[in-house]
Order: sequence, then C-alpha cells, then structure tokens
Amino acid sequence: MMNNFFEIENVSFAAGGKNKVNNVNLTIKNEGDIVCVLGPSGIGKTTILRTIAGLEKIDKGKIILKNKILSSKDKHVEPEDRNISLSFQENCLFPHYSVEKNIELGLNRKTGKKKKLNPKDIIKFLNLEKILNKYPHEISAGEAQRSALARSLVSQPDLLLLDEPLSNVDQSFKEEIQVELKQILTNSKITTIIVTHDSYEAFYLGSKCAIILDGQIKQYDDPYNVYHFPNSVQVVNFLNRGILIPAKVTGENSLENDDLGTIEGNFIKHYPKGSNVKLLLQPEDLEHDDKSNLKLEVVDRKFRGTNFIYTLKTPSNTLIPVFVHSHHIHQHEIDEKFGIKRPIHIDHIVCF
Amino acid sequence: MKKNKLMHLKLCFQQDGNKVKFNSWYISSLFISIVVAIPILTVFSSFFEETTNYFEIIKNTFLYEYIFNSLILLFGVLLLTFFFGVGCAYLVSFYDFPGAKFFKWALILSFAVPAYIYAYSLTAFFENYGTLYSILKSLFGDGNYNKQIPKFDGMFGAILSISFSLFGYVYVLTRASFHYQSQNLIELGQNLGFSKRRSFFSIILPSARPAIVAGLALVAMETLSDFGAVSFFGISTLTTGIYNSWVSFDDLAFANQLSFFLLLFIFGLFFLENISRRKAQYHTPFRGGIKTKIKTKLSGLYAISAFSLCSLIFFLSFIFPVLQMMYWTVIFPKNYIDLNISGLLLNTIYLVFLTGLLLILFAFLSNYGNRVTKSKFLNLLSIFSISGYAVPGIILAVAFISFISWFDNTVINFLKFNPIKKVFIGSIIGLVTVYFIRFYSLAFNGIKTGYERINRSIDESSYLLGYSKFKTFLGIHIPYLKNSIFLIGILIAIEVIKELPITLILRPFNFETFATTAYVFASQDLLEAAAVPSLFLILIASSFILLTSRYILKD
Repeated sequence: MMNNFFEIENVSFAAGGKNKVNNVNLTIKNEGDIVCVLGPSGIGKTTILRTIAGLEKIDKGKIILKNKILSSKDKHVEPEDRNISLSFQENCLFPHYSVEKNIELGLNRKTGKKKKLNPKDIIKFLNLEKILNKYPHEISAGEAQRSALARSLVSQPDLLLLDEPLSNVDQSFKEEIQVELKQILTNSKITTIIVTHDSYEAFYLGSKCAIILDGQIKQYDDPYNVYHFPNSVQVVNFLNRGILIPAKVTGENSLENDDLGTIEGNFIKHYPKGSNVKLLLQPEDLEHDDKSNLKLEVVDRKFRGTNFIYTLKTPSNTLIPVFVHSHHIHQHEIDEKFGIKRPIHIDHIVCF
Repeated sequence: MKKNKLMHLKLCFQQDGNKVKFNSWYISSLFISIVVAIPILTVFSSFFEETTNYFEIIKNTFLYEYIFNSLILLFGVLLLTFFFGVGCAYLVSFYDFPGAKFFKWALILSFAVPAYIYAYSLTAFFENYGTLYSILKSLFGDGNYNKQIPKFDGMFGAILSISFSLFGYVYVLTRASFHYQSQNLIELGQNLGFSKRRSFFSIILPSARPAIVAGLALVAMETLSDFGAVSFFGISTLTTGIYNSWVSFDDLAFANQLSFFLLLFIFGLFFLENISRRKAQYHTPFRGGIKTKIKTKLSGLYAISAFSLCSLIFFLSFIFPVLQMMYWTVIFPKNYIDLNISGLLLNTIYLVFLTGLLLILFAFLSNYGNRVTKSKFLNLLSIFSISGYAVPGIILAVAFISFISWFDNTVINFLKFNPIKKVFIGSIIGLVTVYFIRFYSLAFNGIKTGYERINRSIDESSYLLGYSKFKTFLGIHIPYLKNSIFLIGILIAIEVIKELPITLILRPFNFETFATTAYVFASQDLLEAAAVPSLFLILIASSFILLTSRYILKD
C-alpha cells in the first residue's frame, strides 16, 4: 500500500490559546503536489501553516510528513529539524544581511533532493539581480517578499509553506511570477502548501484547493471542482462567483425559474421532480442575445478589461451577473434592456 | 501556597517525554530577581528589628530636617533642570542660530561631570582665596575680594551642582520628543494663526509633557539618591542620614529604616516616570518616518541671545568644572605626579569590564529567555529585576551589608560553614554584585530595545531554515545587536566610572577608583588634590559620551 506524502489527521489548530480551525483532515498524496488553502482573513490559515512548520503545538491528532510523525499530542519535532520552509507574509528577511546573504542562508539546509535548484536561476526568475547588494530596509515590500520566497526556494525543503506569497507583488509582475513559480515547484518536485485569499491564484497554482470557512475545511478538491461544483452555500458565497436563485425541478435535466423560464443541463446531484431548490447561477452561465424575448434591465456594468460583468435585474428584483466579452459589439448602458439567449443551458447544474 | 511552589518548580524543570530538562531561562531570571530583591526586602524587613537609641535621638531632632532638606533640594533641582533642559532643547530643536548643531551634542557632556565634582569646582572657584580670588588678584592686584565674592555653598551650592550635573536627562528626553514631534502639528498651529509663543505653550510643550515628566522623574530619583554633593556641602538629607547612621552610629537597622522613607519617595517617582514613558510612546509618528522639521533661522539680537544662553549653560555645566580641575592640576603638579593614575585606571577598567560582562551576559540570558519562552511569569520576574535602578546606591550598599551580616550570623552560622562576610563585604565580588543590581536595568532595557526591533518572524525564519536556537542566537541576534551591546557597554562604563557611594562603602581595602580618590581628598579638605582624579574621571566619561552621542541623541 502506498503511503501519503503528507497528512494532517484530525488536528485542531490553535493560536493564542484559541481554537481557530477544528478537526482538519488533509492529505497530500504525491511529492511535488501543490495545495492551496483559501479562506477569508482571520480564519486561521496562517495558524495552520505555523503549526505544520512546528511553530505552534497541537493537542490532538497527528501531522505526518514522509511517514514520520512531526506533531502529535506527545511529540513535537522542533521547526529546525523538520525540513519544512515557511515564507511569511510580512517581511522576515534578516535586517542586518544583504538580500544576497539572506538568500545564501537558505542554502544551509542539507536537502536530499536529486535535482538541485540553482540559486542564480531563482534570483533571475524573481527579478532580484539588481537588489542583491541592498539591505532589507532599502527595498520595497514586494521585493522583500520575493527575496524571502527565493530564500525559501533555494533551501529546497521537503515541504514548502507559502503564506500569501505574492500579496505585495505588483499586479503586472504577479502573473509572470505565478507561471515561473509553478514551473519551478513542479520541476523541482517541491511539495507546497500555499495560503492565499486570491482564488484565481489558488486555482492556477494549486493541484488541489482547500476552502476554510467557519473554522473548518469545507471543501478539499481540485480547482475545477471547487469552482464548478461548490459543495455548500458557504463555499458559493465565499467564492462570490455567482448567485443562488429559487427554482423548481421539472424533469431529469430541467428546472423552472419564475424570471428566467426553463433552464436545462446536467444535474450533478439528483433531485426529485417538483423539488424546490436554490440554483447556482454563475456569470458565464447566461449568454447575451439581443434577439431574445427574455429581456432584463441593466443596473450596473463593470469593465474588467477582457470582459464586462453586467448586473441585471429580474422582474422579481433579483440581481443576476452576466459575463460578456469586451469585444462584444453591442454594449448596453444602464437602464437599457439586455437580452438573454433561450433556452438557457447550463453544463453543470449545481443546486442546494 | 504549596501549589504555587510546585508550579514554580515545574517551570524551572520542564518535562519533555521521560527526560526532565533544566530550564535555564527561569533559573537565571529567578536568580537575578532574587539578587535584586535582597536589598529591597532587607530595607522593608528593617521595621521588625530593634534599633539603638540613635533612632530616638534622630526622630526627636534631625528626621524632619532630613526630610525637609531633601524636599527643598528636590524642588530647587527640579526647577532649575526644567528651565535648563527644556530651554536648551527648545532652542536647538526649533531654531537655527550660530553653534546650534554644536550645542545639540555638546550639552550632553554635562553627563560626564558628577554632581560631587561640580561641587568641588564650585567651592574651589568661589571660596575665600580660591580661583576667582586669584584671578581678581592677578587682574587688579591685592585687595579684600573675599567679601565681594559670592559664596555658592550649602543648600544653594548643592542645588546648583546637582542641577548642572543632571539637567542632561531633561534635555535629552525633551529634545527627542521635540525631534519626533510632528511637523504637521506645528504647521497646524501656524495655519490657525498662533504666534510662536502661543504655539510653544499650546502645542509644543503639552505634547512633550510626558518626556519632560520622565526626564524630571529621573532627575528627582538621582537627586534624592545623591550622596557626594550633599555630604560635601554638609547638608543633612535622607542619604547623608543613612550614611551617618551606619558609619557614625553603626546602626544598620536604623539606616535601613531611613532608607524605607527614601524608597517611598523614589518608588512614587519610579511609577510616575514609568507612566510618563508609556504615554510618551503614543505621540511618536512612526509611519512614514519623521518629516524634517523646518527650523526658524534666528538673526541679530535673537541669534546672539540664543547662542549666549546655550553657551552659558554649556560653559557652566562642563567647561567650568573642567577648567577649574585643569587649573589646579597645572598649578599643583605634585598632585598629578603623586597620584597612581595607572593604578586607578586599571582598577576602573577592571570594574567596568567585570560589571559590563556580567550585566550584558545576564541581560542577554533574561531577554532571550523571555523571547523564546514567551512566558508571562518570566516577563514579570524581569520587570521586578530591573527595579534596582530606582534604589539609591547608598541604600543598596547598606542593605547589602545588612543582608550579608544577617545571612552570615543565621544561615551560615547554623550550617557551620565558613563565614561569607569577607567574601562579599569589602571585596570585588560584593562591589560588582551591587553594581549589578544598580545597573541591571540599563543592560536589560538596552538589550530589550534591540530585541524589540527584531521581529519574531525573523527567529522563526531562521529555525525554518534549519538553524537551531543557539545558532540563531549567535548568527542572527548577536550580529544584529552588536551596536546595542557596544552602546550598553559604554553606558555601563560611564555609570561605573562616576559611581561613588557603592564604591565608597563596598570597595576592598586600598582599592580606589577616580571617584573614591576624589571624594577622599575632598572630604579631607584637599580639593587641589581631588582635581586630578576628578579631571581624569571627566575626561574618560566625556570621551565615552562622545562615542555614544549619536545614540543618546537618537532616543
């Protein structure tokens, strides 16, 4: 039987004597997997990372890495003996050393990895060449964060923990770094847990995502499933990628909404005919069609570069978001009528 | 009670699996706290002891005089140091006039002149047939100048000496407060149409109040602790009372009871100073740094007045005693030749080195223990262990002797061990122990301030890079704190060099420092001979102050 690379078994995470996240079970099956932990601020995401790193102790359950128990009620391997690296959200560079020396200090750890990472490559990809001789107080928050990331990467730990690793990085540079970071982590097979509140970052970087809400992991699945098949109303509300509208199940593949009429598609969970449900309607589920006789009033239009998000008001005063490419020829102003293509077809029907 | 003891033992010996680990952080902090507690507890326990008739005599005669004189002295010194300190700080912080940059650091040189040396200078200059008489005689020929020359002795002399020696506390803290005061606040006053005078009284002064109070509280503590200057001028205060009851009447219990009264005053001031300091932090605008203050350029009469005022204070507080001591050294070269300067220097270096090493070592242990364990109990112990700085040196010394005598007569005697009196009284060990109690706060707070600048995540990053706690300490903390260590070392050196009552009471036989040599000569009315050690003391302390002036003026 193959063992998991990393496991958290029934652990409650506490900080300052207060339980933050309860009874967590989380498994990383293979070395090199990247897991993203998503959740609102103050929920205890950082506490989870600190506990895995050994900076906080646990009262119950187990944390196991490569079949070795790191934390349990009776055992606590010290942080320096875990071969786990944590890159903090705030600046944690050694203030009296230059950026270069800070990164060099990451090379202290003896790593068992066959494929060694070249510090120069990491410095280059994180665009740190120009600030190598500078001291932490002479660089920006984004540069400090990238330097700390470089230091963690060169240490090539068994498990890399990144706490909001790109939160201070400029938006223009962020996507570029995300691509490179993913490449480096995948190529060097560094198993990583990333804490973030940016769902796009999590969906891109993570091979799996854990959603933490109300002190519990609500969903742990691959990003596609988390986005398209959220397993609870809380996850829908947290991801804020759609709304729930009332509907009645009318058949094997159909529902009826008072404002939108018939909606067809594949249910991901069976509901008996006649059931009253809440249907998840995501912005990309509806299509614009000027010729349609289903017209809704535009109450807001957000320009997002590649697309517009229209907010439409139904006769029953429900506000529905609709995604339209920004190159779309016909733009609608507020108070105008906006046509919705019929019949409405949704690939995966998610109801609660 | 039993439960408390058990809990305490548990803290000292932590169980890890089946192994019991010795918790050195708790042991060392506990040890320091016990050492510091000894003199304070001794003073408080003195009320249960019997005293000689001297107590009755004093109570009916001098006790109220001691208290009254101490209060007069306190009031006079506070008034003068307030005007000198705040006035100079205001001028150098807000105005640009010739010499302003020089006075900014030159005024702190007054720290190098202990009040007792100032007192010698003052007396030497104005006494009958003193330096001023000689100057007048050389300028105008023979004459009866003694009657015209004012005499700065007694209470007035003591107030002047202590004020010029201590106004630096008020100056440094007020200047720092003015420096960090928001330029926006001052500009706001201008926008509201306030005059310079109104801005000063309505905005600048109130916002610097916590710093001024903190400075004055330090001055007050030092004034009440002063022994050298008041004993030289023959003023009966609580400190001289303590010394006399011990030296002249050999009544340690009564010396301790007098100490109790003095401690009540001092602890009141200690808390006032602490509260002010805590408040003082709040008006410091850290975010976005400090906007450079636009100084008003003074010209004409205003510039001359500002320059003259600062020059006068600088001259009186530093140049005057230095010149007086130099003058005597030059005209009585025999004193210089006869004095074993290298011996005194070696003794001083020996004390400085030993005290500095011990203080820094224990301050590190305690601070690092607090940091690693994050224990509230340990933190509480540390706060207690720094209270020694509030206790006057003379009380510490007398209480220490009382304790050792009691311990020797009871515990050691009971255990039939060799007496320990000789080990601790009149020995370097005893002297350094009491220095340790007195100056521990200096080392502890210095290291603590340095540590507060190191974010805890820095330590955690180090552990996570595979560095052990010890390697983190050596590789991260020590290099980062090396400036703090240097600064603390220098500050300890200045204090030890200037220290008088503890050294005087506890020094081994025939072991002298510059301070004790100067005092011994002065007490024998040999002021000319006191000049050489005094001059050396001032010069060494000044050079240390100059080395650290950048840090002293920073906060």
